[in-house]
Amino acid sequence: MADHIRVAVTGIGSISSLGHNVGEIWAALEAGKTGIAPLTQVPLEQINIKIGAEVKNYDETKRFDDRELLVYDRYTQFALLAAREAMADAGIDFKKDEALGLETAVIVASGVGGWSTIDQAFYSLHKLGKPRAHPLTIPRMMISAAASQISMRFGLKGPAFCVSSACSSSNHALGEAYWMIRTGRARAALAGGSEAEISLTSQRSWESLRVMASDTCRPFSKDRKGMVIGEGAGILVLERLDDARKRGAKIYCEIAGYGLSADAGDIVMPDADGAARAMRQALQTSGLAPGDIDYINAHGTGTQLNDATEVKAIKAVFGEAAKRLMVTSTKSMHGHALGAASALEAVATVKAIEQSVVPPTANYVAPDPDCDLDHVPNTARRAKIRAAFSNSLAFGGLNAVVAFKAV
Amino acid sequence: MTEEEIREKIFDIIAKEARIDRGTLTLESKLEDLKIESLDMVQILFGIEDAFDVYVPQDDQSFKLATLKDVVDGVKRLVAAKQQSA
Repeated sequence: MADHIRVAVTGIGSISSLGHNVGEIWAALEAGKTGIAPLTQVPLEQINIKIGAEVKNYDETKRFDDRELLVYDRYTQFALLAAREAMADAGIDFKKDEALGLETAVIVASGVGGWSTIDQAFYSLHKLGKPRAHPLTIPRMMISAAASQISMRFGLKGPAFCVSSACSSSNHALGEAYWMIRTGRARAALAGGSEAEISLTSQRSWESLRVMASDTCRPFSKDRKGMVIGEGAGILVLERLDDARKRGAKIYCEIAGYGLSADAGDIVMPDADGAARAMRQALQTSGLAPGDIDYINAHGTGTQLNDATEVKAIKAVFGEAAKRLMVTSTKSMHGHALGAASALEAVATVKAIEQSVVPPTANYVAPDPDCDLDHVPNTARRAKIRAAFSNSLAFGGLNAVVAFKAV
Repeated sequence: MTEEEIREKIFDIIAKEARIDRGTLTLESKLEDLKIESLDMVQILFGIEDAFDVYVPQDDQSFKLATLKDVVDGVKRLVAAKQQSA
């Protein structure tokens, strides 16, 4: 028995290149289908890497009214759609339970926030020489806008903020929300992250870093060439396990632990020791042993260096138990959604536990001697998952690992 | 642009971005031996693209980066291809 408050996942919502809701997204993940395609938000003749994992067939005017669209950047829209789905899934109406709303946290991560709004403001002022910026530029672009809009929309009045730690942002959000409930500082939480930064400026900037693949994303595979940028949002409803049981809620699984660390190394190069320390802490805080973990949803960006380093770290932590672990990267399908990445991956991991199906590593061509774990290539596998890790190893060496456990 | 001009320009960029004494650079220098860090390499490639107005493909296997001669040859090829298409 845990000597602390246990935390259940009772609702999930998501939007990504794989679909506009969890049902569509899970169907794609299970089928090993990738959302990577030629970009549509950037003129292709102006970029060299012409692919990405964009949210497709998305018409904002069908999802929000004019007044809402004035204040919602694309990243806030994604966050709200995912939050709405997660809330409906959990079946809690916080407006009817005001006391619970006062104790419910909103922690919504993003890497860059309202990037398209900033981009547009810069363009109109610097390039077009317009004399003034749109009056809602600031409320749209601020990186905490999604957290604010979700708290307003659903009447959530507990601790609310945004965390930003590049590609680990959403795991830090989920982990902090989990820790708040575990320590009694909040009773429930909406946590996750959102990102929508695909634009000429971001795409060209990523190109210059030379970490992007021009063909597709092939994590852990020989001849992998790099990452592919994605976008989207994932939101989880977390609550005390005893509360969830009391109200007879559907319980997907629990978040059982959380580990975080910094490499204190390089701004772009990963470090196996930092990643290993985060995983060890996730084991320690969850009380799980290496042999209890069946699945790792890896950071797995698809760059040569990340994937080999992550495998090295997993082996250091799991030892012999690494041989029977399944380690996949769903970034092969939903791309690398940066600040939202670990939220999309949390949704994938929660569904994997619920469905007893491990989503594969898609686009896999051939084994790489440096990535010699069971990466479940191309085809999903039916397997009972007792516990799983979702890893995030961000640029700048900020690592966060969330441990999920079947209930 | 002559071959010599291309070489000189590339050596300038590498010396500046990787903070290496320019006098020690030769065509036979191996990039590995120069201990160029990954971010410096990214800046060198950016400098080359900027100086020659070319695109150095992300994953072009023909653009090998073993020695400085390989770099110079690669840039020469990109510059020639650009002039041909112009």
